Amino acid sequence: MDIKLPHSLLTQYLDTDATPKYIAEKLSLCGPTVDRLHKLEKDTVYDIEIITNRVDSASAFGVAREAATILKEFKFHSKLVNDPYRLTKKDLRDLPTNQPVDVQIMDSTLVPRFACIALSNPDIKDSPQQTQSWLNAADQRPLNNVIDITNELALRYGQPVHVFDLDKIKGSKMIVRESKKGEKITTLDGKTHTLKGGDIVIEDGEGRLIDLCGIMGGGLSDVDENTKNILLFVQTYEPKRIRRTSLYTQERTLASQLFEKGIDPELVLPVLIRGVQLLQERTGAIINSHLIDIYPQPPQTKKVSLNTDWLREFSGTNISDQKITSILSSLGFTTANKVPNLAVTVPSWRINDINLPEDLAEEVMRVYGYFKLESILPPTVLTDTTTESVLTDEIDAKHHLVGLGFTEIFNNSLVSAASFSHIGESSERALKLKNPLSTDLEYLRTSLLPSLLQNLSDNRGLKQKQLAIFELANVYLPKDKKLPLEQASLALVTKGHSYAEVKGYLETLLNKLHLDVTFTPAENAPSLFTPAQTAAVFSSNKLIGHIGLVNPEVSDNFSLTGEIVAVSLNFDLVSTLRQHLHHFKPVPTTASVIEDITINSTKPVAELLEKLKSAHPYIYSVSYKNSHQNNHTFTIEFNNPKKNLTQTEVNSIKSKIIKGSE
Amino acid sequence: MTLDQLNKQSASEINSANSRADLDELKTKYLGRKGLVNQLLQSLPKEELKNQGRAINSLKQTIESRLNKQLKKIQTTQSTKQVDVTIPGIKPPTGHLHLISEAIEEITDIFKTLGFVRRRYPEVDTDWYYAEGLNIPKDHPARDDQETFYISDDVVLTAHTSNGQLREMERMKTPPIKMINIGKTYRRQASNTHNPMFHQFEGLLIDKGINMTHLVGVSNYFAQQYFGKDRVIRLRPHHFQFTEPSFEVDINCHICKGTGKVEGKRCKVCKGGWLELGGAGMVHPTVLKNGGIDPKKYSGFAFGWGIERVIMMKHNVTDNLRELYTSDLRFLQQS
Repeated sequence: MDIKLPHSLLTQYLDTDATPKYIAEKLSLCGPTVDRLHKLEKDTVYDIEIITNRVDSASAFGVAREAATILKEFKFHSKLVNDPYRLTKKDLRDLPTNQPVDVQIMDSTLVPRFACIALSNPDIKDSPQQTQSWLNAADQRPLNNVIDITNELALRYGQPVHVFDLDKIKGSKMIVRESKKGEKITTLDGKTHTLKGGDIVIEDGEGRLIDLCGIMGGGLSDVDENTKNILLFVQTYEPKRIRRTSLYTQERTLASQLFEKGIDPELVLPVLIRGVQLLQERTGAIINSHLIDIYPQPPQTKKVSLNTDWLREFSGTNISDQKITSILSSLGFTTANKVPNLAVTVPSWRINDINLPEDLAEEVMRVYGYFKLESILPPTVLTDTTTESVLTDEIDAKHHLVGLGFTEIFNNSLVSAASFSHIGESSERALKLKNPLSTDLEYLRTSLLPSLLQNLSDNRGLKQKQLAIFELANVYLPKDKKLPLEQASLALVTKGHSYAEVKGYLETLLNKLHLDVTFTPAENAPSLFTPAQTAAVFSSNKLIGHIGLVNPEVSDNFSLTGEIVAVSLNFDLVSTLRQHLHHFKPVPTTASVIEDITINSTKPVAELLEKLKSAHPYIYSVSYKNSHQNNHTFTIEFNNPKKNLTQTEVNSIKSKIIKGSE
Repeated sequence: MTLDQLNKQSASEINSANSRADLDELKTKYLGRKGLVNQLLQSLPKEELKNQGRAINSLKQTIESRLNKQLKKIQTTQSTKQVDVTIPGIKPPTGHLHLISEAIEEITDIFKTLGFVRRRYPEVDTDWYYAEGLNIPKDHPARDDQETFYISDDVVLTAHTSNGQLREMERMKTPPIKMINIGKTYRRQASNTHNPMFHQFEGLLIDKGINMTHLVGVSNYFAQQYFGKDRVIRLRPHHFQFTEPSFEVDINCHICKGTGKVEGKRCKVCKGGWLELGGAGMVHPTVLKNGGIDPKKYSGFAFGWGIERVIMMKHNVTDNLRELYTSDLRFLQQS
């Protein structure tokens, strides 16, 4: 959470001659981060980020406590003043004996501490200028002097405070209890909430809900210009319940953000006393009841042990014992026992946050200054640094593709339902988000191709006649198990290239990766492809993917025209099957004879090629040249590694091959 | 044609040729398999063949050398011709690696040099690895900051790469552990400058005697290798549930050289001379325990930084993360 704190309010608790700019800089370095300083006409406002475990610093006093310690470390004069923890019941002097209200707490775990007191005859008017400008600076609207005091107290001490019109609480009775499911309450902002049950609420003597505790007061008992008797009301609540209520009612009020983080119950009474003092000063109200302070189980003192030798080792510094204890004591910790084994008592406002020696290490070292730490490389060395081959194979493949003229794209893993229907598939088998941001980003991809087709479509306006793009990313395939299979997948999409060209790119890529593959006419190709012009790609008898012409209907769904060729590969499988050890074949030292040979056959060319390669031991290499109907021409390099071949020998091999192919 | 005629004709034709293509043609015309020399050979009766065989062979060599001589002559003439060498070259079609891939490679290499081993862990993971095991209980306010996409109550789309921490501890069983986990991450954040998907790199080092200065050392090494020799980092306090202490890592600004001012005015790039790199901290004892490692014996540090963020800081490409996810080839083909 972020708070806005005026400098003039901070200096009510901090005596220093440091400038706001200096304070902001040093706080950011050693304590809470000051995101920004706003200059006002007569004041400066700090924007401070309060991290979740430091709700104790979400106030003028809390920041002053940090600043007093930190500035001292930078040798600046700084002192914490007007410490509210020094206030006691005695500061209220003699109190009347009558009850302010009749309080019943149905479950004491709901309200660790409950305090209230009645005052009468407030002169309700506008607040003093200073209060109004503090509230304005903190983005709060000044209302009247009574309500403004409650808001000012929260700014000062980080303790939310509420005030009721006592005469509007029927039967002068307050029952603090859990809400029941379906109960309704209208809060001060005019919103009516139907409660889920288990919220902390207060019911008056006539069974009406007058407070949605820790979130916002009910509209039934608010203070207005006619109010004669008020009830000043300071509590702490069970954090988890406040958080739950605040989240589902979407009332993320300042009060709820403070309560849900667990504020210090020890501060309840001091804040109530300060509240009474301010009401007396500013409204002339007089105390009209005795004090109710229900505090059945004050938290026990907490001690954490700290070994100062360990701290030096853990921080990598030579910080002295004396420095360690002085920083801790300045932050409100007390230390006992002899060094190096200190018993550190945690102050009440840090009880939820400090549990371990590591927590104390943070307190000491941040104030000492993390910026003073030396820069040292760790000596750790692993004896085995092997990892999944897919991580390096991906990089290799990307580079080969770039070398072949492909441009890489990164698309979102999250896609729309339409991206499935566009390629003739259903989104039902994909993982669906429970809380998507929009219907465009609702499912996890099971194929990269729809995204790439969309990319082509987005680039329709380009003059480039040929486009070749690729993506290598995970697809998410739901499994029977809890977690899906995250499979590395490679997809290529081209425009303006023929099937044969793209197949050439793919063959080159796979050849570069030393992967032996075969292409066969695809059976059951994904619906995105045109069946008659799609091949299944196999390696070691495993289907690793498909290459083919995109179905014109699918192209049309992406407003694409012309020949679109796509490839999709299971890259995890490619990586598994890839030969990482590649053997080189010696170059022939005897003369080769290169001749064309034409074979008449109705078999697929790939099959003829395979057969030719192993047709005779003197065939060194075979490449495909062209086809005219069923006549397929191949260029063959004949070589006898032992001696030069004669034309007669070659002719005899050739005629054997042709015979064999018939 | 007689031998003599052939000799004269070839000489005149070859000497007047003025391109390589012409010469190639002449070579085929005279010396090819069905060329004039062979034709002459075949036209001769057997007895003449004996007489003239040697002469014909010598003619072949003469023609061959004439061709070579003329070729050299042509090349010499051509090479003295003034050409506008500034005319732009004819560019082959080229491919382009994405900036994010480039960065992942660079980052992998930097940490590899330090002996970190690269890993990849699930993007879709259970609440235990993602939050609870990292010391973030179910109803903790720290969950507010996570902006998480859910698949089910117990399965999330990870908003950070830190789920890899426990998984790496389980895989390695005993320290030393020294990994860099690079992966996609997701945040439920609606804004014009954020993409719901981005990438993080997560470093984790656990061993005996690992302390805060080692985190400073590794961070500085990264900053200097990735951004430049003159860069340094500093740590500031922060809070993460899974580290204690936790830090925000800042890097000095290259625009204002860490002064926060450019020509007397406030630097527009940084805050007071420093830029936020990302979060880090000493691994929380509870997290070590959850990973089956004894926090009494071992300590470690971890950090998780955004790839897109370091790209933007390094290349000044854009301050809008979404632009890295464009499909506009006019942008992508610049890399």
